[in-house]
Amino acid sequence: MEVDLKKKEAYFTATQMQLVRNRFFGNRTAMIAGSILIFMIVTSLFSEFLSPYDPTIAGRDKDYENGAPQVPMFWDENGFSPRPFLYGMTKYRGADTNFRWVYKEDKEKRRYVQFFVEGWEYKVFNFNINLPGEALDFKIPGFTFNTHLFGVDEGGIHLFGTDKAGKDLFSRTLNAIYISLAVGTLGVFISFVLSLIIGGIAGYYGGWIDSLLQMFTDAVRTIPPIPLFMVLAAFAPDTWSSEIRFFFIASLLGFIGWPTLARRVRTHLLSERSQEYILAAQMCGASSTHIIIRHLLPSFTSYIIVDLVISFPYMLLSETALSFIGLGLREPVNSLGVLLQNATKADVLLNYQWYFIPVVFLVVLILSFVYVGDGLRDAADPHKVKN
Amino acid sequence: MINFIQFTLTRALLACLTLFLVSLIVFSLMEFVPSNCAERYLAFKNTQGSNITVEDIAAEEKKLGLDRPFAVRFSSWISNIVLKGEFGQSCILRMDINELLSGRFMLSLLICITALLFSYAIAIPVGIISATTKYKSLDNALKFISYLGIALPNFLVALCIMLFMTIYYGDTMTGLFSEEFENVPWSSDRVKDFLSRAWLPIFVLGWNATAFALQTVRALMLDESDKLYVMAARARGISGMSLLLRYPAKHSLGPVINSLGFDLNRIFSALPIVALILILTESGALLIEALARSNDQQLAGAIIFLLTATIVFVNFVTDIILAIIDPRIRKGVMGGG
Repeated sequence: MEVDLKKKEAYFTATQMQLVRNRFFGNRTAMIAGSILIFMIVTSLFSEFLSPYDPTIAGRDKDYENGAPQVPMFWDENGFSPRPFLYGMTKYRGADTNFRWVYKEDKEKRRYVQFFVEGWEYKVFNFNINLPGEALDFKIPGFTFNTHLFGVDEGGIHLFGTDKAGKDLFSRTLNAIYISLAVGTLGVFISFVLSLIIGGIAGYYGGWIDSLLQMFTDAVRTIPPIPLFMVLAAFAPDTWSSEIRFFFIASLLGFIGWPTLARRVRTHLLSERSQEYILAAQMCGASSTHIIIRHLLPSFTSYIIVDLVISFPYMLLSETALSFIGLGLREPVNSLGVLLQNATKADVLLNYQWYFIPVVFLVVLILSFVYVGDGLRDAADPHKVKN
Repeated sequence: MINFIQFTLTRALLACLTLFLVSLIVFSLMEFVPSNCAERYLAFKNTQGSNITVEDIAAEEKKLGLDRPFAVRFSSWISNIVLKGEFGQSCILRMDINELLSGRFMLSLLICITALLFSYAIAIPVGIISATTKYKSLDNALKFISYLGIALPNFLVALCIMLFMTIYYGDTMTGLFSEEFENVPWSSDRVKDFLSRAWLPIFVLGWNATAFALQTVRALMLDESDKLYVMAARARGISGMSLLLRYPAKHSLGPVINSLGFDLNRIFSALPIVALILILTESGALLIEALARSNDQQLAGAIIFLLTATIVFVNFVTDIILAIIDPRIRKGVMGGG
């Protein structure tokens, strides 16, 4: 009885965030998806440390082009080794292989995997943003490191194989996840700010301003997004550097994503504005700013977070679609869309199936986002309380 | 009845207003694309070997009427579309856009609407089963399949099926017609040929749409099943399928009809890339061609306008249907009734 009471008290005194958190933690599927998601985000943040090679053309392995994935082993017919190893590789081409390069494993020769090896240099906390206009440029030198989690002394180690230029697909995949997430985050952020402003104005003022903005929002929502993307992306001249392109694509994602969010913000504001606790706060003499910051915003932060998470996979998918037709990010930038574009050739499906490995990551990433978003939505829905 | 006509007219007026806003947005976007029609056409000619001067560009601009102010050009563009149904000339191809699009747009529409119907034909029964099943694992499996439909980029699905077909059956499955039917008038054989190929884009577009539709139906059914009136009906002794179909399913129908327009929007959105991969000869592929390759703003604007106009029309129709079938709206509209 005592425990039960305590439980009940904890339940009734919990803040909204605590309730949402508790409900979310109770959802097994969402928790699994969430762990996968966090794992992928952390991996992508440390992508440089984890990749044995530079994901750009500088890191190419010219002795292993279109090479199959190399999986480190612990034992073979010659015995067990506590340190994982790869076989030696020789390049061979002749009449029997149709004059295509093939790689033969030399099973007598073992190449051992080393840990914390020195390799290509990378920078941490290094920002070098070069937007048009001098005022927007800023540089932070950051720190330079060259230690990587693993590598081999001679030859190469390509866990996911290499592409036709010899670039390591494992390193590229990690980098692509990072870039895609970064584009998506920036896009979500831009659409969030826009929707807060537009939805906020509509919801706060109401009346004819609201009707006008609603009409505009609805009109934008009616245009099919991908064709609209394509029109906007056609603005970008080919001469733009990859950084500008990156920001441009991210802002496009943001500009297209806002209408749905703006609607939510407006609806929340309109319904919350007339609540009794707002009236109570007004009666106590609270200023508008105080009410907005202390009462209105917290009242729907959880919903907005949920909406942001839900809109994330669509950002990623739009980026993929755009890059796929060549209007989004382009080589030498790695993104999941760029890697996907490389995979979609008949030659690849027949001979180099490992090009599809990044696709698996894309699908897993989006699925985990969808499941997490789903779990968050259920957790934040006050009507779902079952106690 | 008078009220109903009034309601329809208001809705029609609103739809026209939306369409006007959309056309303004599309037209302005087309305007902002760097370099105009004349410059682009002449630049294109330049690559073909003829020399172009600044005077040539000015003369071409005058010929196309590009020297007029923005408002004049927009009003002539929109009035040509509304009054004469003419989209003018394509920028690069220098062909009449109406002629270019006449058959193709209908094909796109046919494919998309079939995909939409296909998706709801699957989503409604499966969604009801998913929401009401006692087997949690069945529900989870259905949910996973529908999420997979969202997570797999549909162009990738199209590509994989296509390559699979090529490798194992030797037929690429690309295009909407086989060679002998490409340029002949419609006949029963041509319809058969069309159907034997069109199932692939319909399936690919449909799977993605099904995923969304399934979510909608499932969420609505779950929401409605928890409500008190369903419990009351259960207390009166109605159970099983008859309870489901009589109460929650009927109530979920309204929001489903309401979401048709946005589902069509999503399918239209996916169409160009799928069309590009499957080399379909319809307007989606033409849109990519116009945007990504030749930068043909006139043509791109016309296609986007047509797509959006279709959605606005569908939204209008669904509003009217809702007013007819939903007693809550009907009473609001007709007053009492």
